[in-house]
Amino acid sequence: MGNVIDFSFALEVFGKLIGYVPVTLGLALSSMFFASVLGLAVMFVRWRRIPVLGQLATFYVIIGRALPTLIVLYLVFFGLPLLLLILSGGKVNNGFNQISPLVFAVLGLTLHSGAYLAEIFRTAVQSVNKGQMEAALSVGMTSWESFRRIVLPQAAVLALPLMSNQFLGLIKGTSIAFMITVMELFGAANVISSLNNRYLEVYIATAILYWLVSICFEKAFQMLEAKMSFFKERKI
Amino acid sequence: MIALKNIQKSYGDNQVLRGIDCTIPTGSVTVIIGPSGSGKTTLLRGINFLERADKGEIILDDMQVDVEKATKKEIHALRQRTAMVFQSYNLFQNKTALENIMEGLVVVKKLTQAQAKEKAEVYLEKVGLVEKGSFYPTQLSGGQQQRIGIARALALDPKVILFDEPTSALDPELVGEVLDTMKRAAEEVKCTMLVVTHEIAFARDVADQMIFMEGGNIVEEGRPREMIQAPQEERTRKFLSRFTLQQAGIC
Repeated sequence: MGNVIDFSFALEVFGKLIGYVPVTLGLALSSMFFASVLGLAVMFVRWRRIPVLGQLATFYVIIGRALPTLIVLYLVFFGLPLLLLILSGGKVNNGFNQISPLVFAVLGLTLHSGAYLAEIFRTAVQSVNKGQMEAALSVGMTSWESFRRIVLPQAAVLALPLMSNQFLGLIKGTSIAFMITVMELFGAANVISSLNNRYLEVYIATAILYWLVSICFEKAFQMLEAKMSFFKERKI
Repeated sequence: MIALKNIQKSYGDNQVLRGIDCTIPTGSVTVIIGPSGSGKTTLLRGINFLERADKGEIILDDMQVDVEKATKKEIHALRQRTAMVFQSYNLFQNKTALENIMEGLVVVKKLTQAQAKEKAEVYLEKVGLVEKGSFYPTQLSGGQQQRIGIARALALDPKVILFDEPTSALDPELVGEVLDTMKRAAEEVKCTMLVVTHEIAFARDVADQMIFMEGGNIVEEGRPREMIQAPQEERTRKFLSRFTLQQAGIC
């Protein structure tokens, strides 16, 4: 029983795995960024009830939230090249082999998170008192000015805790990018553990790394929320 | 001068405005009274299109807007020439008191930050809240918030300010300071005011014209003192009786 956990091996693995944290972080941060932009756009066209685009956006939100992330990732990874091949009439040939799987991973994760973020933004905007918009309009601002200057900053504060949740989920969700050959933290852990035939050390080290990353961002979001709710009553 | 012609509005089968006609001369104060559900707030919100009436015409000096066909541009122009004070104040929650007044000046009137700040400070002083400029709405009392609301409206130099029951959400002891502020706005700034209120005493002391509405119609209009002392319509007399009795010290 003496070597259930080989500490020196665990430490060595830990050092190796740290090298993959940037991949995981890069995936999470870029997907979160694009998903936020997508989510905002989707929320906006639905909020303004823009014809066609609004309905498409609603359809996307329903589908996007109904599919497992892995399926979205597979559809993007295997389906997109095929779709483009068909659409281009065979002109775009195997060029996709040169595109890094990272791009597909970011695209898939963006599509998945975007649907959730769109809903988060929608509820946040709806939670801002209707009178705020009316007051801005009554002053003579356009609806876009009213939205951007008055409603959005207030909605952002309401959305932040939920965005934080979504982002923490996304950090861990990046682990499935391994399924489309992206070598990120979880993927590297799988490889190292099977090569050495030692699992516990590797996954404990991996768990600690995920935990460290998550806790940092949780704190960061808390600080951001505090900073952005400067106008709210101090609560204990 | 602002004039409304044959304003009509229905919610489904429920007709809330049945053809309202009225004229508010420049620099005058008009008070609309009436029981709840009489359509007074809907009428007021119809003027700046926070609620869109179905039919009628709104005339604001040289502007003439057909409610039914009003374009986005016309609605925007109308909103830029009017201002509103809300029952629930509706100060911008993410802005300080001073920024609340500056916001419209910067975004709509295109003043520079410095010009807007200077002007906002003037109006902050007019409502007696210079020392509260850097406070956020949640840090102010209801009465203070409403006074900022009035300053925000005044600073825009609107052709008319629409007051939607400005004291109804206030604690009784805070009503006075808001009414005083409105009175000063009427007397010093000479701004044109259309006020929906239940404060009959304010109507008597400040208003030039009083309108009594019920069931989507104007039942009676006239000079406030005359209307309070000798209402022509039975319905008006009944509505005002509580107030007249109070005045006589009976109730």
